[in-house]
Amino acid sequence: MNKPSIDDLVADLQPVKRLSARGGVSLTGVALGVAILCVASVWGLRADLMIGDPPGIVMIRGGSLLLLGCAALIAVIGIARPAVGQVNSGWKWALAGAALFPIASLTLMMKEGALPMAALTASSAPWCLAISGMSALLIGSVLTAWLRKGAPTVLPQAGWLVGLTAGTFGTFAYSLHCPSDTVHYIGIWYTLAVAACAGLGRLLVPPLIRW
Amino acid sequence: MQSQDQTLARLMALAQDGDAVAYRTVLEESRRWLLRYFSRRIAPSGIDDLVQDTLISIHAKRASYDPARPFLPWLGAIARYRWVDQLRRVYRQDETELEDVHGVEPEDEAIMARISIDRMLAVLPDGQAAAIRLVKIDGLSIAEAAAASGQSEALIKVNIHRGLKKLSASIESA
Repeated sequence: MNKPSIDDLVADLQPVKRLSARGGVSLTGVALGVAILCVASVWGLRADLMIGDPPGIVMIRGGSLLLLGCAALIAVIGIARPAVGQVNSGWKWALAGAALFPIASLTLMMKEGALPMAALTASSAPWCLAISGMSALLIGSVLTAWLRKGAPTVLPQAGWLVGLTAGTFGTFAYSLHCPSDTVHYIGIWYTLAVAACAGLGRLLVPPLIRW
Repeated sequence: MQSQDQTLARLMALAQDGDAVAYRTVLEESRRWLLRYFSRRIAPSGIDDLVQDTLISIHAKRASYDPARPFLPWLGAIARYRWVDQLRRVYRQDETELEDVHGVEPEDEAIMARISIDRMLAVLPDGQAAAIRLVKIDGLSIAEAAAASGQSEALIKVNIHRGLKKLSASIESA
């Protein structure tokens, strides 16, 4: 089959809507909003959040997750509009910041010389993974669909970052319900949820965005 | 080069709005640029195909260009993507019949150097770059590449596999 010539491509020209960063941010924001609404309506939000008086650690973990999610989202948006020489490394710093939770948990474990059994056997842990994962699936699907309109050229990195963005925002949605507020719980289960989503993104997303 | 980039950026913005004359100019200029770009790294018999594939990609992905940013780095990223994609396809098909290349030297311009394929190969460890260069670019067989580089045949294969994987991940690196 003959490939289309320049004449064919020109004849096929139609005006296109430019892929805007605002579009990617808006869609992801809407997906996050829907995820939060689902969490709030099905499982309910923390009581202290409802009265506007959350403990400090809830604010810090929420802030860390939002910061990491936004930084990863900015990187995904950059990937959708490729350019040689483009650097999007902000997400690495945000990830380093969020890594303070598992690092702090590990440090405490070493200091205490014992495993944090309460956090490891918490009955809410499966819900943490399930709710974060379901929310991430919604957010990741929307983001992947948007990314397909772009021209990602670094597919493995795009997969990681879509998974990281979705996992981080999904875990943020869960964190608004999460009954626990210990460093160990956050360091173990939140980290696991985000890492699993990033890994799944690396596996599942590249074939979907290849062009 | 900078004024050419600005002109192409302006024309591409018009093309995104449906201006056929501007679009034809963009495609023709891109075609010329791509011929130069690929000439040192692709067997002459494959250049036209790869250029055409890249033009089709430009057409399909034209919405991803942001007119507020330079045009050539965008074109360069798409060209690198198509080039690596072609290397991978050739690798998968186990075709090692690429001819030696003595193409036209690209212009010695800063932007061309920054987005050149040589620069991309330079991010690879020596062994991986040598394996890809010898087998995928110079067209040697695995055995010939092993003899020429001092690597074992198994190592040549491993280095090609790892090198292509790394090239895929470094398409946007300067």
